[in-house]
Amino acid sequence: MAEVHVIGQIMGATGFSESSLFCKWGVHTGPESFVISLVDRLVAEIPWEVGILQLSEKDKPGINSVSSALPLICSVTLGKRCSLSEPQFPSSIRKSWAAWKLLSGVREGQTQVDTPQIGDMAYWSHPIDLHFATKGLQGWPRLHLQVWSQDSFGRCQLAGYGFCHVPSSPGTHQLDCPTWRPLGSWREQLARAFVGGGPQLLHGDAIYSGADRYRLHTTSGGTVHLELSLLLRHFDRYGVEC
Amino acid sequence: MVLENSPVDDQQEPVQKGPDTCLLGMTSRRGPRSLPPIPSASRTGFAEFSMRERMREKLQAARSKAESALLQEIPTPRPRRLRSPTEKESETEFGTELDREVQRTQQDHDSQGHSRVKFHDSVRKIKSKPPVPPGFPSAEEAYNFFTFNFDPEPEESEEKPKAKNRHGANREEKEGEEEEPPVQEGDEEEWLDGKDVEDLLLGLDHTAEDFVAVRPADYQSVHVRLQKEKELLFVPSRRTVPTYKKLPENVQPRYLEDEGLYIGARPEVPRTNQNIMENRLLTQEPGRRWFGDDGRILALPNPIKPVPSRPPMLTQEQDIKAELETLYKKAVKYIHRSQHLIGSGDAPGNFQLDIDISGLIFTHHPCFSREHVLAAKLAQLYDQYLARRQRNKAKFLTDKLHALRSAVQMGLNPAKTPKTLETTPKTINEYKSEIRQTRKLRDAEQEKDRTLLKTIIKVWKEMKSLREFQRFTNTPLKLVLRKEKVDQKADEEAYEAEIQAEINELLEEHTEEYEQRMEVYRVTLQQWKAWKKAQRAKKKKKKQEAEEHPADEEREEPGPGEEPEKPAPPEPVDRAVIEQQVRERAAQSRRRPGEPTLVPELSLAGSVTPNDQCPRVEVMRREDIKRRSLFLKVTFNNKEVSRTESRPLGADFRVHFGQIFNLQIFNWPESLTLQVYETVGHSGTTLLAEVFLPIPETTVVSGRAPIEEVEFSSNQHVTLDHEGVGSGVPFSFEADGGNQLILMTSGKVSNSVAWAIGENGIPLIPPLSQQNIGFRSALKRADAISSIGTSGLTDMKKLAKWAAESKLDPNDPSNGPLMQLISVATSGESYIPDFFRLEQLQQEFNFVSDEELNRSKRFRLLLLRSQEVPEFRHYKQIPLYDREIMEKVFQDYEKRLRDRNVIETKDYIDTHRATVAKYLQQVRESVINRFLIAKHHFLLSDLVVEEEVPNISILGLSLFKLAEQKRPLRPRRKGRKKVTAQNLSDGDIKLLVNIIRAYDIPVRKPTASKFHQTSRSSRTFTEKHAASPTTHSPAHSADYPLGQVLVRPFVDVSFQRTICHTTTAEGPNPSWNEELELPFRAPNGDYSTGSLQSVKDDVFINIFDEVLYDVLEDDRERGSGIHTRIERHWLGCVKIPFSTIYFQARFDSQEDEKLLQATEKFRAECALKFPNRQCLTTVVDVSGKTVFVTRYLKPLNPPQELLDAYPNNPQATAELVARYVSLIPFLPDTVSFAGVCDLWSTSDQFLDLLAGDEEEHAVLLCNYFLSMGKKAWLVTGNAIPEGPTAYVLTREQSHYLIWNPCSGHFYGQFDTFCPLKSVSCLIGPDNIWFNIQQYDSPLRINFDVTKPKLWKSFFSRSLPYPGLSSVQPEELIYQRTDKVAAAELQDRIEKILKEKIMDWRPRHLTRWNRYCTSMLRHFLPLLERNQEDVEDNHRAELLKQLGDYRFSGFPLHMPYSEVKPLIEAVYSTGVHNIDAPNVEFALAVYVHPYPRNVLSVWIYVASLIRNR
Repeated sequence: MAEVHVIGQIMGATGFSESSLFCKWGVHTGPESFVISLVDRLVAEIPWEVGILQLSEKDKPGINSVSSALPLICSVTLGKRCSLSEPQFPSSIRKSWAAWKLLSGVREGQTQVDTPQIGDMAYWSHPIDLHFATKGLQGWPRLHLQVWSQDSFGRCQLAGYGFCHVPSSPGTHQLDCPTWRPLGSWREQLARAFVGGGPQLLHGDAIYSGADRYRLHTTSGGTVHLELSLLLRHFDRYGVEC
Repeated sequence: MVLENSPVDDQQEPVQKGPDTCLLGMTSRRGPRSLPPIPSASRTGFAEFSMRERMREKLQAARSKAESALLQEIPTPRPRRLRSPTEKESETEFGTELDREVQRTQQDHDSQGHSRVKFHDSVRKIKSKPPVPPGFPSAEEAYNFFTFNFDPEPEESEEKPKAKNRHGANREEKEGEEEEPPVQEGDEEEWLDGKDVEDLLLGLDHTAEDFVAVRPADYQSVHVRLQKEKELLFVPSRRTVPTYKKLPENVQPRYLEDEGLYIGARPEVPRTNQNIMENRLLTQEPGRRWFGDDGRILALPNPIKPVPSRPPMLTQEQDIKAELETLYKKAVKYIHRSQHLIGSGDAPGNFQLDIDISGLIFTHHPCFSREHVLAAKLAQLYDQYLARRQRNKAKFLTDKLHALRSAVQMGLNPAKTPKTLETTPKTINEYKSEIRQTRKLRDAEQEKDRTLLKTIIKVWKEMKSLREFQRFTNTPLKLVLRKEKVDQKADEEAYEAEIQAEINELLEEHTEEYEQRMEVYRVTLQQWKAWKKAQRAKKKKKKQEAEEHPADEEREEPGPGEEPEKPAPPEPVDRAVIEQQVRERAAQSRRRPGEPTLVPELSLAGSVTPNDQCPRVEVMRREDIKRRSLFLKVTFNNKEVSRTESRPLGADFRVHFGQIFNLQIFNWPESLTLQVYETVGHSGTTLLAEVFLPIPETTVVSGRAPIEEVEFSSNQHVTLDHEGVGSGVPFSFEADGGNQLILMTSGKVSNSVAWAIGENGIPLIPPLSQQNIGFRSALKRADAISSIGTSGLTDMKKLAKWAAESKLDPNDPSNGPLMQLISVATSGESYIPDFFRLEQLQQEFNFVSDEELNRSKRFRLLLLRSQEVPEFRHYKQIPLYDREIMEKVFQDYEKRLRDRNVIETKDYIDTHRATVAKYLQQVRESVINRFLIAKHHFLLSDLVVEEEVPNISILGLSLFKLAEQKRPLRPRRKGRKKVTAQNLSDGDIKLLVNIIRAYDIPVRKPTASKFHQTSRSSRTFTEKHAASPTTHSPAHSADYPLGQVLVRPFVDVSFQRTICHTTTAEGPNPSWNEELELPFRAPNGDYSTGSLQSVKDDVFINIFDEVLYDVLEDDRERGSGIHTRIERHWLGCVKIPFSTIYFQARFDSQEDEKLLQATEKFRAECALKFPNRQCLTTVVDVSGKTVFVTRYLKPLNPPQELLDAYPNNPQATAELVARYVSLIPFLPDTVSFAGVCDLWSTSDQFLDLLAGDEEEHAVLLCNYFLSMGKKAWLVTGNAIPEGPTAYVLTREQSHYLIWNPCSGHFYGQFDTFCPLKSVSCLIGPDNIWFNIQQYDSPLRINFDVTKPKLWKSFFSRSLPYPGLSSVQPEELIYQRTDKVAAAELQDRIEKILKEKIMDWRPRHLTRWNRYCTSMLRHFLPLLERNQEDVEDNHRAELLKQLGDYRFSGFPLHMPYSEVKPLIEAVYSTGVHNIDAPNVEFALAVYVHPYPRNVLSVWIYVASLIRNR
């Protein structure tokens, strides 16, 4: 029943080598996406009478906390314990899943392209206005960003991925979100330097999911500056001090 | 003293300090420690003191010289020894030193009373006074007294003793203790011996040497040192420690490894090191806790990997995780589609389903001959046989039986059994029961096999006889029975052995059973006997009793039922009987011994009799088959998406397609069906059956999907006149027609359905729940189960078994989790968690339950508002607390949700319309939802308002304009300033209505004459059409005398219940030229575009005739006063929906590529030349897709009834058809799809909905005209009052007619009253022509579309008409409307209207004139039939019959949609406003039904006032 109101703006970005920048952003709440996907898969694929799902190495990013090498006993209890044999399992999962409810506002968006004339900071001043109701603290809103640059031909290329949590204390917060982007092979780097473009993540989830990124070669981008004001409501009612 | 003292000290110290000092190897001694160090506060003052010090010392030296003798005497009585014992004790203790000091001071007191005062307070500052005789302060003393004494710090003197100490072996000083309190000084001073004093004196002269001493190097011999070190140091031995030392007493070492327990490999440590460690541990810590059971030091398993490893080389390509894959993307131009973050650029809905249809096999078809039927049956049986043989259950069961038997055998002979197999009677019993079970199963299986074989043979025989009988063969089927010889003897033996075994088992079983029963029998017998005995005893007793009390006998007698029967012993087992049974069964179900095994083999090796040898009927059948061909339609979510090629039906009733369809889909598939169509010859195709394909699992991807056969059957009945047996009809194989069979057409489609795999190996599967918003995880798509390898379901039992077999070491930590899992899974009662939590503690930490969260009214309201649900779309502020939100806020919304599927007939009266309204509502909602999303996509022009930068040409033009002549009499229209919506409020917007003039207002009929009836003209005024062109005849007022006022019309404009009216003009052609201003209020004060467009209010422009009645009762007063009553009589009205006033054209596009490009180009060209003329090329259909407009035009049949009405008069027919179209209610799109777009429905949808706007009307009318053979086009342009609209243009022999589809009226091209004011486009069924003439008024243009200079055509030589298929149906089907229902409706409307009129007159009595009403009722049908011609006559008749009444009334005519517009119309006439006291009313309703529920409603309202 607690409410979280996030009002603020994406101020702009500094430190990017490119000049004309714009930003795509999104706010993600609830469990990490691999969990969602896992649940979706479970819902879709598990023969309900049998509760064991073999997970392969590929699933590890999310599951290594559980004991990855082994067959997992999988029925997902989220909120409500329900055994796999329950026919209404999928729907009950869906229902209990949404600890965070977006009451109003858009979760994602994109800023305009800003070409700074003075200084090297690109100003977007892009408003963020989100209103959530939540029944728990888990899955606190996370903000993920993609900074893109537009070259003189109007072509867009990726300049950085960024991720930060929405602050959890009320008040106004100045956030700096550093960004990174995949480096790619030397060929790709060369191509990027001369003809633009560049390697991008195929699945944007990796920006905010806890996947092991150690195989990824990245380079740092600039920093995105955000100013978020938070209003929290009714948290004290549930024993959360803020 | 020195001699005396030092040995003592030396002696003391080693004892006291022990090895410590030895260890340090220091020669210096530690003196007795005295006071705790006094804070040396005055240290800083040291430098300044030094000079004084010296002076003082000199003085002191001189003095002491003189008194040395005395001085030497003084310390002696002070017994040093007295003190040492106490000192010794307290040496180590710090705290005691004070006491010691006190002691010392006491001694001082004793010895030197004079210094009492100064020594008080434990701090002794006096140092040099001892030689001073008591009572006389020396110079220094005096000096010190004044200058120094009060300085508590005696530090400065410290230097001195130290220096002194260094000279001699001063025992008082301890090295390193510089801080040593100077307190001692006083004492030391006293103890100074002569030598010291001498040194001191010497030092006066050469001070530097005082501090430096030359000493020999300290040396201790190596031996001594080693000796000392030995005492100090401990060197553990390197020798192996015997085990017994490491273990507790009397404990044998225990080697866990030998006992089979797991011990990890210990880290390698050299033996010597271990020994040293062990020795050391043993000595240092006597406890044995460092040693394990085996006497070795405890150690963890070696944590070091055996093989060195290095970080893997990470190459980009290999082994990158799916979700971390990167893809080099070229820098590309910004695409609108991917403007949101989701999917990071990949187009949504790029999903593909591959459907592979390989073929079709009929298991029955009407063209099957009898032989085919048998063949099909045979093939089926053979398939079954093959399947059974492959599984070979009988064999499996037999083997099992053998195995079990041998196991039992082993169990019974314990001698043979190895020890490991522990067989208990219990297991043997289990085996036995299993044997029984298995045997039963095997018997059943064997029997089945045998019957199947028999049936196959039987069918084959039947087939053979049939072939013989009909003397030709139709099918190539051939059954060969292969005999497999068996060894007669061995077989017999096996058979016999089997039987014997079985007999034995049975026998055993029975014996067991027998024994059990015997047991039971014995027990019961025992009981019975006991009972019997008791009975007997009782009887005896009774006898005795009876003798005593004979009367009691009866009472005591037990009931006869209680007497237990004597149990019968069970029958013993008879071996012969059992054997008999077994043999019988065996003979039945088993192959006889020695009988060869039969293996049927079905082949297609047979030959089919050629046609010329067959009888005629058979040839006909074969011909028939040849004429047939089949194809399959693939329907996806009930829409046909593709179809296979049509393939002929083979003689073997197989059709091979072998086609793969790739369905690009957007939605999650709900249904996937194949429709089997059969074409016979050139006649039509028939739908044989529908095959429902299962939607593949998300795991099934292309290439992995197996071909599956899906059976289908059809319920069609076919009887054929040839050999074919038909379908659904009985036929028989026998001559007498007995044993009839009815077979239905059936077959199998072999197909495979799978999800396609994209380029990067990701299956193109749509996300599972598409309503699930938020981020579509690409991961989800990526790895259904396909990516996790297998969905292998691990059987726990098996896993445990495997673990047991492979002798996994349960203690090995690497097996730990596995073991744990197994232990959990296998231990019977333990709880297997059949869940696994991804979000631990989610539930525990939840604040509230879901229910509570959903209950929150505030959240709900917020959500609904942000979803833009109509009821809450413009809700401004939402209360902060739930309690402040009223329940009733949701009532409407909930009601709407509830009613969504409930058809309410209350408001609509007529059920059909109610359904339609519901449907319309649903379409509207879905369309609105779709466009709400689209609305959020803004174009640059929506966001940035930029004044155009003037270029040269514009500048030049404006320069020329300066030079232009001024023409003040030709005013130009100036564009109004645009106002942005957000800063508007109520009252800012005004609606301006310019009333200019009116033509041809109907005039009053002469009133005075009694011959002519008193009344005014009553005319039909259909809405939106104040002046009917047909009545436009200039001669109509010729009858009336000049100058007489015929009519005094004024115009009354009402909007949102605000009314304004003009002044009253006179005459039938008045000119007002007035501007009326009406305030405008937007709903909810919201002036946004969407909201404004949903304003449903209409602007009513009514014309009234003002009639003045002289009400003067008394002629005498005429001179002094005028009493007139003003009555207003309604003449007509124009209704302009607000939506046409406020109309914002906005189109969204998406269709076929080439055509679309062409349309864009065409539009752009047109817009360039004539920006004001709207060019219509594509429109949006009901499902929200863009459709090329010509697809809407196609000849469609009008209702036959209308065509039959005037068979010889095409013009009248055309008018009737136009009238029919006009009777379909008008519903502007802009209202129904507020702020969205203009939707076009096809004609059948239009007729179903019975509502539409101008376009639908025009399309339908145009289609009717086309089917009637006229040349007709759709005209788009602007009309009054509709605004941008569509009309129909037809070409008669010599002229053009323009039809208004909504009113049904038509106009000649040159009719000035034609409401169509401009023409921009003509649309025909196959082309579009854009008007490129200078003018666009129909009066001034040429409609000849063949002239390319006047009309620019869309399809031309460069872009030929591609033959677009029509979206219209093949033909329209009309149902006759139920007349009874119409009559009923008529009554209800009349009742409602009457009630309404009475409601509107709350303060007056409303009288209904029944007579007049009934007359009007008769009158209305005539009006419907003949429209206006009949009117005059009837009115005259009406008035005649009414006689004395002043009658004013008029018929209203409108198409029927709902009751509300009717009520509105009646209200707007203002009849109810007449408040003359004696007024009476008459109201009649007539509903005329047309086909397809199109209803024409006539309402005649009249007011009557009795003339006196």
